[in-house]
Amino acid sequence: MNKTNKPTPDEPENKAECCSEDSRRKFIVVSTLGVSAACAIFPVASGITTILDPVKKSSENQAKVPWTKVAPLGNLSEDGKPAKFEVILSEVKDAWTTYKNVPAGAVYLSRKGNEVKAFNLKCPHLGCAVDYRSKSDDYFCPCHNSTFGLDGSVTDVDSPSPRGLDTMETKVEDGDVWIRFQQFRPNIVEKIPLS
Amino acid sequence: MNRFLDWLDDRSGIRVLVKEALYEKVPGGARWRYVWGSCLTFAFFTQVVTGTLLWMSYSPSAQTAWESVYFIQYQVWGGWFLRGVHHYMAQAMIVLLVLHLMQVMIDGAYKAPRELNFWFGIALLGVTLALSLTGYLLPWDQKGFWATAVATNLIAEVPLVGPMLQKIVVGGVEYGHQTITRFFALHAGILPAALIGLVVGHIYLFRKHGIHVKEPRPKRDSYFWPDQILKDGVACLAVMLAVVFLTFYFKGAPLGPPADPSNEFPARPEWYFLFLFQLLKYVPAFWGAVIIPLALGLLIFLQPFIGASKKGHHFNIGFWWCLLAGAAGLTFLAFSEDQANLNHGAAVKEAEWQAQRVVQIAQEEGIPPTGAVTLLREDHQNRGRRIFASHCASCHRYNGHDGRGYSVEDDPSAPELAGFASNTWLTKLLDYEHYISPEYFGGTAFKDGTMAKKVLKKYDEDEKKLLPQVALLLSDLAELPYQDSLSEERRENLMDIYYDDLACIDCHDIDSEGEGSAPDLTGYGSRKWMVDFIVNPEHERFYGKKNDRMPAFGRDEKLSIEEIEIVVDWIRSKPAEI
Repeated sequence: MNKTNKPTPDEPENKAECCSEDSRRKFIVVSTLGVSAACAIFPVASGITTILDPVKKSSENQAKVPWTKVAPLGNLSEDGKPAKFEVILSEVKDAWTTYKNVPAGAVYLSRKGNEVKAFNLKCPHLGCAVDYRSKSDDYFCPCHNSTFGLDGSVTDVDSPSPRGLDTMETKVEDGDVWIRFQQFRPNIVEKIPLS
Repeated sequence: MNRFLDWLDDRSGIRVLVKEALYEKVPGGARWRYVWGSCLTFAFFTQVVTGTLLWMSYSPSAQTAWESVYFIQYQVWGGWFLRGVHHYMAQAMIVLLVLHLMQVMIDGAYKAPRELNFWFGIALLGVTLALSLTGYLLPWDQKGFWATAVATNLIAEVPLVGPMLQKIVVGGVEYGHQTITRFFALHAGILPAALIGLVVGHIYLFRKHGIHVKEPRPKRDSYFWPDQILKDGVACLAVMLAVVFLTFYFKGAPLGPPADPSNEFPARPEWYFLFLFQLLKYVPAFWGAVIIPLALGLLIFLQPFIGASKKGHHFNIGFWWCLLAGAAGLTFLAFSEDQANLNHGAAVKEAEWQAQRVVQIAQEEGIPPTGAVTLLREDHQNRGRRIFASHCASCHRYNGHDGRGYSVEDDPSAPELAGFASNTWLTKLLDYEHYISPEYFGGTAFKDGTMAKKVLKKYDEDEKKLLPQVALLLSDLAELPYQDSLSEERRENLMDIYYDDLACIDCHDIDSEGEGSAPDLTGYGSRKWMVDFIVNPEHERFYGKKNDRMPAFGRDEKLSIEEIEIVVDWIRSKPAEI
């Protein structure tokens, strides 16, 4: 703003007073700006953390994928033939509500001795449900024709899926198969969990 | 930068606008008495911003309002602080409104030609109070729920359209989803919009007429920028610090237990409405809700004209001082009456207990889709207290009260049950003076029974010294969660006293086949013993025909087995407090 525009209510009487008046005025202007800025920032500052809360929580949640019981080991055929199982999470928290026994997705489980392999049913390409074809003993996505071998890897070079089927951690405890069920970001080469 | 400003100024005229806004003349120089309007603007600005941020996590429905506020308070990062600022700034706003109003009255700034602006101010006062009232309900906790029930019942007092108006505000007859959504629309939409419109008018009119100068003028004239703005800013900073202090001091805004129409709660409004609440104890609701506000409103409306004369001005100032003093007096009465009322204190404590409990369960188990109120309704600790209060407390007491903390008017006619079967409880029971006191069997026929007259009273000093040992033995049978169990050896030693030294076994069986003439003490005070006893005290294992008025709750189906188990678990869970 142009300095000459400023109306001056009082003419300084002599030079000495002018300088002290100037520094006084400078002090007032700086303090006023500071105080006003503090008042303007305060409301947003008092709640900024609440806006950032989801970002903070997602980094905390990554470590907390729960184990979920899927099926008795006996229900899996010993020859390693995959079978489809529903995954029912015992507890799902959506902000303030906790839902019990929520169907969250499905997995293919295949067994080798006491080792169990789990694949997410969702195609890593764009999330369609993958079928197991017993005739050719492989997995096939009916949407865009991706094919996967029994080990989950992409078998056909023309498959649009950028990576093999998504595996999840499994364990066998007291004759039951448990998995850490997760979803992953679709259509990229790396397997990155959603959280 | 300058080129950009020139460009902007050419198209918007922003320089003139800023100049007009900042270089408002302040005759007589900047003064502290002019800061209240700016403080109020700052407070409102804070409310709009913090309110919008709260809105990001708030969900207005009967099953999610309390739950989302709980989420903000206990789960969202810094949510408690945000909520605290919104809560205490709302209260600061009321205080600032009163200060602003009184400054305007005392300085005579309400008189011609500023009548219109005075009315705008009064309307702003009304809108702000309405914002407080509607905001009070939004957490959907007991306090907000019951207080709003009273407030909305007052609407029904309006002649002719009252009941219809009430239905419109409540969204029907019952309080529920529609009440919250309507209050929320009022609180976050209609009322703030009205407030902004009124503030724009208020500031326009203020600028049109300029500051009303209180004579004598202390200094030379100056300008709004920067002198007055600095004073305004410092005052706003003080308000801000006070709000931050209150937020930290009270650890954010309170959140009561979730609203439950079946769980009574003493309705109290926020402190600045307490005078109205107290007034309704003295005048009929119609007067309190319609006649008095109308009469006051009319008088306030006329004040700019009354104030035209010097006498009238003094009358106006006196009127507001009286109104404030009256409100303060009524507020004081409301507080002191509540303080003196033991049951009110108990109800507040009970609500605090429930609030803590429900938060504890929510944190441990999460909140089901049916809402947090079901957590409390199904909680065994809460149910235990309530079952005791409604089925046991007419004869028994728990720490001297009804189980929930309420005092009971009648004297107890059966034993105190806090710490039942504990070593302390039994030691006192086996002392004759205690046995026949109202704390134990003083109110029953057993006061004159065999145990009292022929056993306890007759013991010599040596035998009396053995009684605490028997108490210890019996309390061990109860397997109370807060008491360590005895070693096998110690138990056998004590059994010797029970069998031989005092020969209690002659009447009271323990682990024996025979049928004693007094209650069987096998597993005395244990969960099973207590459940069986409450199911049927007239069973020959217990009092048989000697039972004195204790109902057979299970046999006569006054309580289900589950309810009996809940109350037993609750009694057994904690030692006595007195």
